[in-house]
Amino acid sequence: MKHNFDNLNLIFDKYPKTQESLIAVLQDIQKEYQYLPCEALEQTSEVLDVPLSKVFSVSTFYNSFSLTAKGDKVIKICTGTACHIRGAKLLQDQLENHLSIKAGETTEDMKFTLEVVACVGACAMAPVVVVGEKYHGSVKVSKVKKLVKAK
Amino acid sequence: MTIKNVKDLNKIRKTSLATQKKHPKKVLVCCGTGCIANGALKIVDSVRDGLEKRNLKDVTVEILKETGCHGFCELGPLVIIEPQETFYTKVKPKHIEDILDKSFLDNEVIEPLLFTNPVDGSKITKYNDISFFKHQQRIALRNLGKISAHDMNEYIGVDGYQALAKVLFEMTPDEVIGEVTKSGLRGRGGGGFSAGRKWKICKDIKADKHYVICNGDEGDPGAFMDRSIMEGDPHGVLEGMMIAAYAIGAKEGYIYVRDEYPLAVKHLEKAILDCERTGLLGENILGSDFSFTIKIARGAGAFVCGESSALMKSVAGEVGEPRAKYVRSVVKGLYDEPTVLNNVETLVNVPTIIRKGADWYSSIGTKKSTGTQVFSLVGKVRNTGLIEVPMGITLREIIFDIGGGILDDRPFKAVQTGGPSGGCIPESMLDLPVDFDSLTEVGSMMGSGGLIVMDDKTCIVDIAKYFLEFLVEESCGKCTPCCEGLYQLLKIVERICAGKGVEADIEKMERLSENIMLGSLCGLGKSGPNPLMSTLKYFKDEYIAHIKDKKCPAGVCPELITYEILDNCTGCMACIPACGYDAIEGKKKEVHVITQDKCTKCGACYAVCNFDSILVS
Amino acid sequence: MIHITINGKVVQAKDGEMLLTVIRREQIDIPTLCHHEAVEPSGACRLCMVEITKPSWDGWCDYVTSCLYPAEDGLIVNTHAPKVNELRSSILDMFLARHPKSPEIRQLAAEYGVMKTQFEEVVDGDNCILCGICTRICDTMGFKAISMVGRGHGKEVAPPLNMAPAACVGCLSCAKNCPTNYIEYNMKNGGLTIWKKDFEMIACTECGATTITKEFAEYLSVNRDIPFDYFEKCDACHRKELAGTMGRIANWDREARS
Repeated sequence: MKHNFDNLNLIFDKYPKTQESLIAVLQDIQKEYQYLPCEALEQTSEVLDVPLSKVFSVSTFYNSFSLTAKGDKVIKICTGTACHIRGAKLLQDQLENHLSIKAGETTEDMKFTLEVVACVGACAMAPVVVVGEKYHGSVKVSKVKKLVKAK
Repeated sequence: MTIKNVKDLNKIRKTSLATQKKHPKKVLVCCGTGCIANGALKIVDSVRDGLEKRNLKDVTVEILKETGCHGFCELGPLVIIEPQETFYTKVKPKHIEDILDKSFLDNEVIEPLLFTNPVDGSKITKYNDISFFKHQQRIALRNLGKISAHDMNEYIGVDGYQALAKVLFEMTPDEVIGEVTKSGLRGRGGGGFSAGRKWKICKDIKADKHYVICNGDEGDPGAFMDRSIMEGDPHGVLEGMMIAAYAIGAKEGYIYVRDEYPLAVKHLEKAILDCERTGLLGENILGSDFSFTIKIARGAGAFVCGESSALMKSVAGEVGEPRAKYVRSVVKGLYDEPTVLNNVETLVNVPTIIRKGADWYSSIGTKKSTGTQVFSLVGKVRNTGLIEVPMGITLREIIFDIGGGILDDRPFKAVQTGGPSGGCIPESMLDLPVDFDSLTEVGSMMGSGGLIVMDDKTCIVDIAKYFLEFLVEESCGKCTPCCEGLYQLLKIVERICAGKGVEADIEKMERLSENIMLGSLCGLGKSGPNPLMSTLKYFKDEYIAHIKDKKCPAGVCPELITYEILDNCTGCMACIPACGYDAIEGKKKEVHVITQDKCTKCGACYAVCNFDSILVS
Repeated sequence: MIHITINGKVVQAKDGEMLLTVIRREQIDIPTLCHHEAVEPSGACRLCMVEITKPSWDGWCDYVTSCLYPAEDGLIVNTHAPKVNELRSSILDMFLARHPKSPEIRQLAAEYGVMKTQFEEVVDGDNCILCGICTRICDTMGFKAISMVGRGHGKEVAPPLNMAPAACVGCLSCAKNCPTNYIEYNMKNGGLTIWKKDFEMIACTECGATTITKEFAEYLSVNRDIPFDYFEKCDACHRKELAGTMGRIANWDREARS
């Protein structure tokens, strides 16, 4: 996939050039590209003067980072305890079935990525599914297909 | 404007109070994450438009408040009309015209939007008459749902930064530490260590630098009080940090927030910026010798970063692997300097303790656990949400009086506290007064205050499996007992859930658990077996049922159950498309049938059936 | 100097010295898998745990990793307490389930009576025990070419982006210090391949045997002031030359005396 990496400098300029900024920079890159492209990691290593191996360690340690490109819309199924006992597994099953992918995968047309995430902190509305930036609470089986259609 | 001294601060306070007085009529719209998910921002827009139409544009800021979370997220968006305290639930934009005309400009009440008491079906008008709120005592959550979360002047109007002024000009650092110690405030992040004593240890260490870190990572699944506090009362958190910093002699502070909490990050950033602009953060705060800055460090999703040494590595931009803590992080913390790490709820209590005094605070709660605790009451309970109650209240009061009992009147089975480090408490212990020590005694823990209520349809072995899956996923992988041991525990529990368990597994799990607790490097591993151990202790029968009888009494574990359609099936055909595996056949108005070898026991048919026609056995 | 008691014997130690150092000095055998003198202790494998107590602790004991616990005066250490032995065999049992084919793990486990794991063997379990000695040594050497990647049960040692690491000079410190000989490398036709990276080895100007990689030699000559041409001779030829030199010196001495 070809990217325009000009925006990287805008991200780097926001932070002091030290290791302390590493996670924040990676988060911004993840937001910009929906994943961490190799070239971006290499530039980060250079600009922040952090060995590439350490950048890679950090990129693979934390949940919010991904090294593979994601679909246009990321669907996150919350699997916090409250969601779990209110049927998150069933929603996962339904979404996997409907999209014909497993959690963690992206549809072939690159439209959707399905993820299971630890608690998103909206427990009072369990079960919760986050589509893009939008939180959907008390999700019922009958609403699942709509979620995927939702633009 | 800048706030150069206490006089400036009091001037803002006066103006803010005068404004409040001049406009007693207000429309409060809850703008916590829950209500926003339900469409609160559209409500705000509608109210703004409505006020404009009614020629109230100039005073919109005074009337319309975008407040923090009330904790009652399930019924959002929530709108409150003041001064009557009329409480509207599930408000839609189309209701706003009515609300403004009748309820805001007039004194009428719009019945359909009122809260319905789940116990007797009656309508309740006032916020404070609802049992969910009535039994609460709000200290940490005092400003949530009351003030505009992002308005510093409003915070100052409700005695904000008065505690800071008091410590800077009337108290020495030691007196501040003394007061906090005397109040009995214990860390609300899980450990329950005395906040004052922690500060004292840190202050007494001679070092170039001291740090204050506010832990807003809130990794416990099922808890969201820190999120709501950071979103709804960011200045309260900052003031708590400033007081801690003054007490221990720190000049730099960090707030470690989960990146999954974008609204909390946004509100904290705004609050910090406002403080920097006015001089409440920076050099010589309020004209004193005290200087302090706060930076935000966004967490990137790792439960293990709740462990202090891992969190500090993460703040420094490294992998969040804990280190052995024979030297504690309060002595050798961030960048090897002495560091006080307190969680959000702990810090937000501090300003009130300073203003009202240690004696006042310690008169609330129990002798050894003073004050209040915020719980996130969730799961199979009628009223779910955030509650703040005095320590020592019983679980029964929380679940049945405040929570309104179990959803659909099913029997109560257990309540899980303390997240993945805690345990499940059975019905026989419902009258347990809740505090730090009582929960630990029964094999659970306070943790960050998640209370997850379970009914008879929750399988306890499945819950143990759930927490082990979580911990295996979240283990950093550094030390063997945690990384390999928890993995093996999970494998055993998976076998039991699949009906392949043997009786010797129970003893094997007990011994392995003991070794994991003894041998692990950090708290994640040391307490990791707790959910399993506590369920084994109180619900052994259910394990035996899985192992010996090959049955899942709660009807959850797929390998041990079957789904059948009963004769009372109306033939509505709702379950047929819901089943993703083409396992249900049937015609309209005829009893449907499940083809057993196609059925994956996913439960979709059960979830959509409106006639209780699906039998799980 | 302070005094601590190990397995009933009073011994001397330096204040703050790690317990493991004292224990090993006393020739007491306790197993470790993640410990290496060249790098900071990490406390990952947990095998060096010992039981400690003090008279003032009222019979209460603690269990600590000796590699990280500083000696303090009056400490009473039991390196083979029943609980410690049980913990060690349990940990070795976990290791055995994860790395059933590793001869080093099998031997160590057998020493603690674990011949066969009671747990579920990991399918395709490799021999990397995630001790982190390789990555820590690579850091200490100053290259920081490889690191731990991922976390939890799926963690592994790998070069960044799983590609030939630019920072690697082929010094082989990682492979040569791996306790389970997991790290593979290939040396043939005057070249070296490790971490998917190919290196050219310097050939001895005398006999043609390979010495070290060009990159490593350059690094050492720039950073450690060792003349580059030192590496243009292999160990054997260096010794031959040294022997020759010594012989000449001896001859001169004889001539000078006579």
